[in-house]
Amino acid sequence: MAAAIVNARHQVGLCQTCFHLSAEPVCSICSDRTRDPHTLCVVADSRDVIALEKTREYRGRYHVLGGVISPMDGIGPDQLSIQPLIRRASKADITEIILAISPSVEGETTTLYISQLVKPFVKVTQIAFGLPMGGDLEYADEVTLARALEGRRELL
Amino acid sequence: MYLQHLHLRNFRNYHDQIVQFQAPKTIIVGDNAQGKSNLLEAIELLATLKSHRVSRDRDLIRHGIPDAQVAATVAHRYGTNDLDITLRDRGRRTIRRNHEALRRQLDALGSLNAVQFSCVDLELVRGAPDCRRRWLDSLVVQLEPVYAHILQQYTHVLRQRNALLRQSKRESASVPPAAIALWDAQLATTGSRVTRRRARVLQRLAPLAQHWHQQISGQPETLTLHYAPNVPWQEDEPQQVQAAFLTHIHQQQRAEQQRGTTVVGPHRDDIDLLINDSPARLYASQGQQRTLVLALKLAELHLIESVVGEPPLLLLDDVLAELDLQRQNHLLTAIQDRFQTVITTTHLATFEAGWLAASQQLRVAAGAIAPLL
Ligand SMILES: [Zn+2]
Repeated sequence: MAAAIVNARHQVGLCQTCFHLSAEPVCSICSDRTRDPHTLCVVADSRDVIALEKTREYRGRYHVLGGVISPMDGIGPDQLSIQPLIRRASKADITEIILAISPSVEGETTTLYISQLVKPFVKVTQIAFGLPMGGDLEYADEVTLARALEGRRELL
Repeated sequence: MYLQHLHLRNFRNYHDQIVQFQAPKTIIVGDNAQGKSNLLEAIELLATLKSHRVSRDRDLIRHGIPDAQVAATVAHRYGTNDLDITLRDRGRRTIRRNHEALRRQLDALGSLNAVQFSCVDLELVRGAPDCRRRWLDSLVVQLEPVYAHILQQYTHVLRQRNALLRQSKRESASVPPAAIALWDAQLATTGSRVTRRRARVLQRLAPLAQHWHQQISGQPETLTLHYAPNVPWQEDEPQQVQAAFLTHIHQQQRAEQQRGTTVVGPHRDDIDLLINDSPARLYASQGQQRTLVLALKLAELHLIESVVGEPPLLLLDDVLAELDLQRQNHLLTAIQDRFQTVITTTHLATFEAGWLAASQQLRVAAGAIAPLL
């Protein structure tokens, strides 16, 4: 099931590594050798990548989940690119995973789920949101996002 | 605080109506379905950002119009605030304070405080637990505006968790432990916030309610407000309350799987109203029930006043005529001129004279308000 969805995504133009929108099999961020390959920033949606890129504060790589866990919408962990994230995270060269998922109920639940899975083998931090309640990354201004990146804290 | 001025545009059955409040008591007389309750609903909206009658904004907008506006000027001890809400048929509402749009709508809470008393409240004693929860929640929101957010989050978690349980019931499969554990944790976190705040507010309200109940009944009866949370807990400490939730969830696991819904949490709380340790629901006469509800309302008024530092408004929606002259008198003595009061009624005949003296009297007919001549 999960594999089927992930495969379907490939056909509609997603990066095979990070699942960001991309015309090529590997997106421009993943193929940029100047970017830090040891840090992964996990976001819900490609729009969040675009918002974070605008700040020009982040020089690591991304991982796009393709949504957040929401049983009401029939979205469980298997419908998101969480397994591929675990595979990436379990490789020795990743040293930090930054979870940058909106602090909605679903976002927080997704953050909780992922952090439980990857904590055993990598340092996990959470972006410090100073965002409007239930706010989306999309709507946060760049200064807020840059500050949030700076002020991220380790998840215990 | 004092509501000086209210401007309704395309709100419910009003086209463009300005109301100037010129006395501590304003009585609005009108037949049914002319717009009396709509006016109080507009004030309720400013105070709580909600209407107890409808949940969709579009139901508050005059038929066939894309948006409606409610604007008010409220005098506080430290100056005057303008507050306005634009409701849209499609799309989100906008709330402005002093003509500046608020980024977070919840920040508008606290600009105006009001206690409502309508026929619905007369059901507080005999009604189902959800009326008592709704009553308590709207009080907590006025005292601690962040509670609106906490409650929203809890409701959201509940809906997600129910979706998961329902789905597994439909598919006759048990929910994967990892998936449900995630929502158990969220239910415990958000649910414990709800239950702790409810308990704290009830604890502060109880002695006030007891005091007013004794005043009005004139008898040595003791009114007790007893919080009956669905998840009992002892110590008011987040970790402990959350642990109590998880234990309870564990005990109810089978029941929840069988029923396909969440049976643990503050959405199943109740508040026991006891007179001399007996449930008022079972033993109180109709008169005693009215005394009890009146005592609760007076307790609310005084609690909000002591927490906020200013007397809130009192909104009496078609309820004063339901009280006998003696209870009307008690209410009048208790509020004096300190609490601005807006009263709706179909007729003035049953009002105690003290209510009419020095009050501003308006008539509403077909969505238009004019002085009562
Ligand atoms: Zn990529």
